[in-house]
Amino acid sequence: MVLGAWGRRAQLIFAVALTSGLATAALADDIVITDHENREVRLNAPAERIVTIPMPMASGVIALDGSADKVVGMNPLSLTAIREGILGKIFPEAADISDAVTGTDFVPNVEALAAVNPDLVIQWGGRGSEIVDPITNAGINTLLIKYGTEELTRQYMTMVATAIGKPERIEQLIGWSDKVEKDIEAKAAAIPADQRPNVLYLGRSLSDISASGGGGSYSAWYIDLAGGKNASEELKGTVSINREQIAQWNPDVILLNSFEPELDVSWVYNDPILSLTKAAQNKRVYKMPLGGYRWDPPSQESPLTWMWLADLLHPDVFNYDIRAEMKTAYKTLYNYEASDADIDGILWMAEQGDAAGYDRFKAN
Amino acid sequence: MLTEGRAASAVQPRHWPKMAVIFAIFTVVLICALLISLCVGRFAVSAPRALEVIFGALLHPGSASEAMDERIVLLVRAPRVLLAALSGAALATTGVALQGVFRNPLVSPEVLGISQGAAFGGALAITLGIWGLGLLGTVFVFGLLALVLVGLLARVDGRTEIITVILSGMVIGSLFSAFVSLLQFIADPNSSLPAIVYWLMGSFATATWDRLLIATPGLVAGMVVLWALRFRLNVLSLDDAEAKSLGARPDAERWLIFALVALVVGCQVAVSGIVGWIGLVIPHAARLVVGHDHRKLLPASALLGAIFMLLIDTLARTLTPAEIPLGVLTAIVGAPVFGILVRHYYREKGAR
Amino acid sequence: MIGLKDAIVRFGDRIVLDRLSFSVEAGRTVAILGPNGRGKTTALRAMLGFQKLDGGSRIAPGVVGYVPQYASSNQNYDVMDVVVMGRAAGLGLFGQPGQADIEAATAALAQVGASRFAHERFDRLSGGERQLVLMARALATGSNVMVLDEPGSALDLHNQERLLALLVKLREQRDRTIVFTTHDPNHALAAADEALLMLPDGPALFGPVAETVVPEHLERLYGVAMRIVEINGTDGLPHRAIMPAFAGLRAA
Repeated sequence: MVLGAWGRRAQLIFAVALTSGLATAALADDIVITDHENREVRLNAPAERIVTIPMPMASGVIALDGSADKVVGMNPLSLTAIREGILGKIFPEAADISDAVTGTDFVPNVEALAAVNPDLVIQWGGRGSEIVDPITNAGINTLLIKYGTEELTRQYMTMVATAIGKPERIEQLIGWSDKVEKDIEAKAAAIPADQRPNVLYLGRSLSDISASGGGGSYSAWYIDLAGGKNASEELKGTVSINREQIAQWNPDVILLNSFEPELDVSWVYNDPILSLTKAAQNKRVYKMPLGGYRWDPPSQESPLTWMWLADLLHPDVFNYDIRAEMKTAYKTLYNYEASDADIDGILWMAEQGDAAGYDRFKAN
Repeated sequence: MLTEGRAASAVQPRHWPKMAVIFAIFTVVLICALLISLCVGRFAVSAPRALEVIFGALLHPGSASEAMDERIVLLVRAPRVLLAALSGAALATTGVALQGVFRNPLVSPEVLGISQGAAFGGALAITLGIWGLGLLGTVFVFGLLALVLVGLLARVDGRTEIITVILSGMVIGSLFSAFVSLLQFIADPNSSLPAIVYWLMGSFATATWDRLLIATPGLVAGMVVLWALRFRLNVLSLDDAEAKSLGARPDAERWLIFALVALVVGCQVAVSGIVGWIGLVIPHAARLVVGHDHRKLLPASALLGAIFMLLIDTLARTLTPAEIPLGVLTAIVGAPVFGILVRHYYREKGAR
Repeated sequence: MIGLKDAIVRFGDRIVLDRLSFSVEAGRTVAILGPNGRGKTTALRAMLGFQKLDGGSRIAPGVVGYVPQYASSNQNYDVMDVVVMGRAAGLGLFGQPGQADIEAATAALAQVGASRFAHERFDRLSGGERQLVLMARALATGSNVMVLDEPGSALDLHNQERLLALLVKLREQRDRTIVFTTHDPNHALAAADEALLMLPDGPALFGPVAETVVPEHLERLYGVAMRIVEINGTDGLPHRAIMPAFAGLRAA
């Protein structure tokens, strides 16, 4: 796989960045980044006031920087994740950061944006210029990143680390995720196709029900990594579906999103149709955890997601000690000693009910 | 000395036997459409099995079903199919009533901004956390308010221009749509916002027996009263002066009809969002078959509307694994059909 | 009986009706004459109750058989349906026409001689035929008052003859009050008992047709010289008509 090349490239970037970082300190040279739309982003000093429009990036910047000081504006759904999750406990001041700078649909409110006086805005690329032009036209430095695969995620996390002048951080994070990915991949390779369960991830459940097809969905990527099959593979993109279609797919495992705080597994068990699926009958219905950020989309905590899912999908093949991994990860990422109560909260221990295989996540 | 030579010209007696046949055909088609819709879907249930389930439920109502295929047919398809048919009939009926009262064939609930007003009412209720009957009430009030505003803006009397009414409808509709956008901006991004966004798109995907029972009383009551006004609609479709001389009180009676339309549209929007084109196109199609007399036009439109909506919704949920938004399908079918109807209408006008 | 008592109507500073009083007894026919803009139409609308009065009152029965000059644009109904609408006043808000109403409508159509159009589309008839159907509708209301707004103005001569014959026939029965406005004083001569002249200078003039529809008054009314003409009617008897002096070709 390309991972070896990534390890080397990360080292190269690290070397260059370190050199330029030192040079910057000495000679005030610019930081130059090529973003995902091949634009040159130039900063004459490490960014100190960052607005993050993509939802995972608020916690991403916080993790890379080790503090919330550099984030001056974020997506409303990033803010709810902070307030509902552990990051708000670790960094209480983060709960007060403005979310007026953008709508949840990534359309920026340029006036609110300008009011927080950012020196860098992180925005989604590849989704049209209507969400980008208002920012660039206001003369604000913008870094465009693209979503979908782990590879892309590592690239843009590297860009951001460079932008804040902490390239050494990303080496650590990429090293870890690379190691975990390789480990899971190696073990999953031995699982025969007919033993890969059909896993259905539902992006939305309460207003309408949505699921994603194969190309470009991060969830589909890690379901495959963890030894599962995407039950909604035939869909094109993320679309609305109905319960009859879910019944037709009859998934072995159902993953519920962590975006809807009122959603828990009872939604499946109380539904006359969904409760008859194989997933419900075998109690393999799980709500995605909410840690420093939601575990559904890509973030600095994603390796935890993969390990968690792998343990659930193939308990005979994988045996990660999730609690230990989480304690280590939160120490590394946020310099935080997570308690057992914290971890129970993140994993929704109380709400998952007696989900199959969840016992192994219990505290000793 | 009456003009001779008319005998051979276009004499089209609308004999009652012919009408009876037409309505019989519509009814049969509707029943077939209902049965077919119950038998098709993404989950494979053979037609004989589906019919078996349906008749079993009709004979032993209230018995719990345990098997997935039974539940699919009875708990997913049945309420959805009934809701779609009822909504189609209701929207077509309101289209007929509005076209009669505004004396204008180009109006419908969404052209006049009623659907958008109702949608705003619903979005407001969601934002404030009001559900159930409160939501229904809010939807109704704002649907009616939209209609009132259009009436005031266009100052409908015997001499209002067609274009003024349509433009007023566009203005009010846009206004309420803008208010909904405003609500989206302040709504809770986790719960209210997705609910509102989904609300705006028409869909029967969330149909359950509960929602059907919530919407049905208003839909049926509204349609029944409009049906009772079928002859009155003929009279109200005349100039105000003529209508008054025939004993009508056009202003007051128009308000009654507005209230009924708002009730029906409100109930429909409350459970399935904004559905366009039905109220506009179906009355025209029905007129081609049964003529303009509302005593025949109302029931014909209701039947055709039910059939059409059933067809559209069944396609929406079976063509692909994803749910195709209703608005897309109604527009794809409705717009060209409407184009043909408009051409026919103007050709007819020119021939006079 | 129908009429106005001291009716006043103002449009801005202009007084269109200045304490107009007249009444038409049962069984009588009155023609309202006047040039455009002198209140002819206003008086008609006031009688029908469509025009708000700034003073005075109107006398009219509950339901009046109104025959507009043109049917409203949305008359895509069958002729029978149009005439049956005349029964609406007796049916109430939710009433539906029954057998008796259909029979009344059929009889009204027969009375105006338009039975053969019963199942045609109204908007496919000619102007004259439509006028007859609207009269049938007014008859179908069952009212014994009929008010017609310039019934002959839009018709060709053939249809004018037919219309006047019908008005005369209805008058002969002496069971109906008929009021119509007209441009043509000869219509008044042919079909009316009394005439109301909306004079531009001074109060309106009301009286029997023989006394009011004369050149002396008509010249005041129209501002045009008028002449009496003797003609041989279709019935072989001498008729008297009134023509404007500018009519016709100069004889040698």
